[in-house]
Amino acid sequence: MIEFDVRTLESGVGAVTPRGRLNMVAARQLKDILTTLSSDGVHQIVVDLAETTFVDSSGLGALIGGVKSTRQMGGDLRIVRPTEPVLAVLQITNLDKILRPRDSVELAFHE
Amino acid sequence: MSDARMGDLTGHLELSAPASVESIDLTHTLLEHLWQQNPQVDPACRLRVETAAIEVMANIVEHAFKHDGSLAETRGSRRLTTTLGVHADGVVVGFCDDGRPAEIDLSTVTMPDETAESGRGLAMALAAVDELVYDRRDGRNYWSLLCAI
Repeated sequence: MIEFDVRTLESGVGAVTPRGRLNMVAARQLKDILTTLSSDGVHQIVVDLAETTFVDSSGLGALIGGVKSTRQMGGDLRIVRPTEPVLAVLQITNLDKILRPRDSVELAFHE
Repeated sequence: MSDARMGDLTGHLELSAPASVESIDLTHTLLEHLWQQNPQVDPACRLRVETAAIEVMANIVEHAFKHDGSLAETRGSRRLTTTLGVHADGVVVGFCDDGRPAEIDLSTVTMPDETAESGRGLAMALAAVDELVYDRRDGRNYWSLLCAI
């Protein structure tokens, strides 16, 4: 089960916090959220993974899709504060470069 | 390996459920029960098993039953049986389903490049556990995985 918190920071950056497991079911919801943000003109997105307890290939696919679509619009999708299980999966899939973890939601676009 | 190895398991858990994406959450729950019963399994091994099991299950749901959606006679009747247990050698998970044969050769599976949005699941499963086997017998698909303790 998963819940998503979606907000826009004062800087205009979109912040998405998945709470729970980011699996096949949740990945569909995340894709929809990212598409909605994009339609609203938000192309700088931070995904806060501090409360994401698990991620599978579908969840990773949704994040990579977000990276590609935001970059096409001159923006980016950045992840922050991944939990240990999520970081381990990023490492075995060699995605820790394209999805390089940052330390905080507020500073993700200031590094 | 699934039948023989599963036969040795004591106190194993089994779930028979419709082969649907909703059943994936049930498998996470079943794994939580397994860890409660077997606290000796360390967190790294738990993550490896969960990663591989969920990827295999997602593959089954996505591919073995993808043509069932419009067939009234099969819709909702396909079953996926999941068996979990801790063996002397490690954690064992088996899946059995009556869907289409998986057209996959696990020896050729590789991790796609970093910009790929799909096609990563079975490569992750293979990378996560010590053994992953697929077999087609008697019109059923059998998947089994082992993570050594």
